[in-house]
Amino acid sequence: MNNAIRTSARVLSSHFILVVLFVFAAFPLAVLIFNSLKSRTDLAQNPMGPPTEILFSNFVTAWNESAFLLHATNSAILVAGTVALILTLGGMAAYSLARLELPGAVVVMGYMISLTAFPVWLYLVPLFFQWRTLGLLDTLPGLILIYTAINSPLAIFLLRSFLVQIPKELEESAQLDGASRWSILLRIILPISWTGFLTIALVVAVAVWGEFQIAFVILQDTDKYPITTSFLAFAESYGRDWTLTSAVAVIAIAPIVTLFIIFQRRFAEGLTQGSVK
Amino acid sequence: MKASRISMVSMGLVFALAGCATTSASDTATESGGSGSSESAEGVVTMWIDDNMVNPCFADVVGGSWTDQEIGLQIELKPQWDSLTKTAVAAGAGPDIIMTPGVSYTAEFAKAGALVPLDEYSDLYGWGASFAPWSMAMGVSDGTLYSLQGELETMVLWYNKTVFEENGIAAPTSTAELNQVADQLSGLGIQPFASGNVDWQGVNEWLLSSVWSAQGGSDNVYAALNGSGSFTSPSIVEATAQLTEWMQTGYIGGGLDRYYTTPIDDYLVQLAQGEAAMNIEGSWRFENIDQFFTEAGSEWDWVSFPTADGEPLFSIGTGSSWALNANGANPDAAAAVLDHVFDAATQAALVVQCGMSPSPITLDMADLSSIDDRQSRLYAEVAAAAESGSYGYLTWSFWGPKSNTYLVQEIENVWAGTMSETEFLAGLDAIFLEELEAGDVPPLPLR
Amino acid sequence: MLSLDYRQKMKVGAWGFVLPIILLHAFAIVIPAGAGIFYSFTSFSGIGEANWIGLENYSRLIGDESFHAALLNNLKWLLFFWTVPFSLAILAASLLAQVKRGAMLYRVVFFIPYVLPSVVVGSLWRFLLHPDDGLPGLASTLGIPGFELALLGRSETALWTVAFVDNWHYWGFLAAILLVAMQGVSKELYEAARLDGANYFHQLIHVTIPGIRPTLLFMFLMTGIWSFLVFDYVWVMTGGGPAGSSEVIGTFIYRTAFQNFEVGYAAAQGVAVASIAITILILFSLLRKRGWEI
Repeated sequence: MNNAIRTSARVLSSHFILVVLFVFAAFPLAVLIFNSLKSRTDLAQNPMGPPTEILFSNFVTAWNESAFLLHATNSAILVAGTVALILTLGGMAAYSLARLELPGAVVVMGYMISLTAFPVWLYLVPLFFQWRTLGLLDTLPGLILIYTAINSPLAIFLLRSFLVQIPKELEESAQLDGASRWSILLRIILPISWTGFLTIALVVAVAVWGEFQIAFVILQDTDKYPITTSFLAFAESYGRDWTLTSAVAVIAIAPIVTLFIIFQRRFAEGLTQGSVK
Repeated sequence: MKASRISMVSMGLVFALAGCATTSASDTATESGGSGSSESAEGVVTMWIDDNMVNPCFADVVGGSWTDQEIGLQIELKPQWDSLTKTAVAAGAGPDIIMTPGVSYTAEFAKAGALVPLDEYSDLYGWGASFAPWSMAMGVSDGTLYSLQGELETMVLWYNKTVFEENGIAAPTSTAELNQVADQLSGLGIQPFASGNVDWQGVNEWLLSSVWSAQGGSDNVYAALNGSGSFTSPSIVEATAQLTEWMQTGYIGGGLDRYYTTPIDDYLVQLAQGEAAMNIEGSWRFENIDQFFTEAGSEWDWVSFPTADGEPLFSIGTGSSWALNANGANPDAAAAVLDHVFDAATQAALVVQCGMSPSPITLDMADLSSIDDRQSRLYAEVAAAAESGSYGYLTWSFWGPKSNTYLVQEIENVWAGTMSETEFLAGLDAIFLEELEAGDVPPLPLR
Repeated sequence: MLSLDYRQKMKVGAWGFVLPIILLHAFAIVIPAGAGIFYSFTSFSGIGEANWIGLENYSRLIGDESFHAALLNNLKWLLFFWTVPFSLAILAASLLAQVKRGAMLYRVVFFIPYVLPSVVVGSLWRFLLHPDDGLPGLASTLGIPGFELALLGRSETALWTVAFVDNWHYWGFLAAILLVAMQGVSKELYEAARLDGANYFHQLIHVTIPGIRPTLLFMFLMTGIWSFLVFDYVWVMTGGGPAGSSEVIGTFIYRTAFQNFEVGYAAAQGVAVASIAITILILFSLLRKRGWEI
């Protein structure tokens, strides 16, 4: 009897705590969405609650005024490019570190993880000059290269830990057949670990989608600016109109949130793959 | 310095306006919100300016009236244009026409050899005759003219006329009266001064510029600026202490915590709606103050910031500094554009159509007849004051860059109570004198 | 058995797989960082000459009180981030590990804040923290004391408020990672503990946490390093103010380089920060060598 009560008390209290955390996480987003659907007078009287009357006009204005398509496309290009490069070049490196018995692997690993500790401001100004010399300044590809360099060390570190767990037998039979490293990588390793790759892709996508510091310094043509700078500009100039700013915020986050929700099951799988590190 | 933001601003507006950027009658290309290369090229003069609310109008007016057939003008609005310009110039590129927030910045470019000397062009275009002598002096570095100063700025006391009239308060002219009025307003439950620096930390120096010249005494400030006096002179210390008291008692902004979190638009709404009654801000506010008051249905007006002795005084300075990039392909063309920018007709159009502050050039008041009386009254009074030599000094125009940064940042420590006024001002002295010796302080026009 | 020749080729080839990314690092990070280190010994302002001044920037750094204050703020940040998000994450993850129904929904919602760009989160929370219209206003109306003043505008509360917001963004990410780690802990261990009469907390401390130790320590390491690199949230929400109370090294360096135009001095600061972060790394790897499983 006592046990049953204790168990249900425990279940109830754990759900209670989870619900509290749920509200903590979700409430601000709910407010953001509510506010994007309100009129300004509605907002003035009712800052955080649901809209008394739902308006979609803010979204129309937001779409037009913030040149959303242009900037979201830029962000998408940056994300796609960086993810592609990291998964290929980083995947290759991780594969090498995990399975190819790279001589000096420990040194390379140490080097990788040290790179994550470098603050970007140490090298941002010289990087600017260097990119200018190489003709990469004010170009999206130039920015993609920088994002790849910065995000790859951690990505490689994590990818390696995924790949290390794959049983060696799978490879060895292919090796006995004389298969090249490439075909082993593509035909055997990848199909097994692709959710791990997806997870890394998502984490990198989130980082690139939200980056603004470096983009700001490297890009000079406002047509090339990503969605983050577009949003900041909007928030500053239309600051008085929070309903409009909220609408811009909602469309700015919609792509990345959608991406996450679509892939979240795979993402969880991917994390599971790497769990034992 | 105008209330342009530290980081990014109105890109949305830029793109909205890019759609209606006019190409003038000839084939010249005028773009706001640039696309394509900003590299200097023969036949096209490039200019990078701040991406704020008023500059799209600037681009329209200046670009739209540029009628040269052979030289194209490309005006690009860029967020953080100042640091972008600096790094670009340092890398051997950058726009043909360099615009900086103040003369101390262009002076730095000049010292690094990045600018084209302007003396010849000045003779050619007669700039010496049209610009106020005090502003010409500022653009000289090591005996050579390197920059022209734009956007005459002065600090005034804006106030909600409706609130004043309703409560029988007369606009104050002396410090004593100002304090009286502030106390009276506070007693009525009205915030004496609206303010907030979350958008722009430089609001700190709007306040300092006002109280130092008006209450500390412009002669004392002048002495400190040329090295013969000190910022620790008693009246300057007292003026700083007065400001601190207003900050700490909540007279300004309704409390330090509010001051640090209130955006400019919000406090202007407060001013217009009568929650606050006065505002210590510069003449750039003519740009949009009407909007706020029309929305709230009340009246505004201004007086010169009250002085210790009650005599009117204007602290003046300039909001922008213009120079020619030595990396540019065609300095002659760029100089022609520069002349066009500072042409009396262009400047008048900028005032009338964009609400911008005019540059310190001789303007035909007839051109300005369509603007608000209160605004033309200001320009007339400032011009008279400048000529008679009785004016004060805006910190962003007459201090060196390091001392300027120091005073903006460190005053917050005084307000927090962790630093005394004397310590703060002594520190300022030290840094300023270093800069003065190194030649980093803009030339001071003689009184 | 694989021929020796094959293995030899494998080793050379192995480097071929790593070289491209290492070259990219060299170009985009290491070489500029080297230049940065060079600048740290000069008085380079971003334009003009880079005059050699030796260790002057470093001696100036040692005496620079504002820099020390910023560093102290990073340490406070570190303290906050090693406790608050980890507590929330461990709590949520351990509860979720046992929930059958609806776990996926919780996981998604907890994680979504992490996906949002800092500029949006910062902007949103500035609204929510408004003393009159936001949550503090609500609290004051309900009679809860202490929220009448703008939290971001007071020196005492500014830094912690920003940390709170960054925590809102971060803890879900941590929870997701720890949850997965917890799922790898053998159920039998929990059974055994329950039979011994251990309650929830006992299980947490004696089974769960030891079970996820490698992941936990790795996240402590990364969080530690990231605490010294924090920039976005402080910059967007307070810009380092008021009166430098929320200034962290990141914003301090940014200001030095891009507002005060003292690139040489900023580079010296960058070197200092990199040294701190690398020291943390070395500490962790030493601990690892001594058998602490990481």
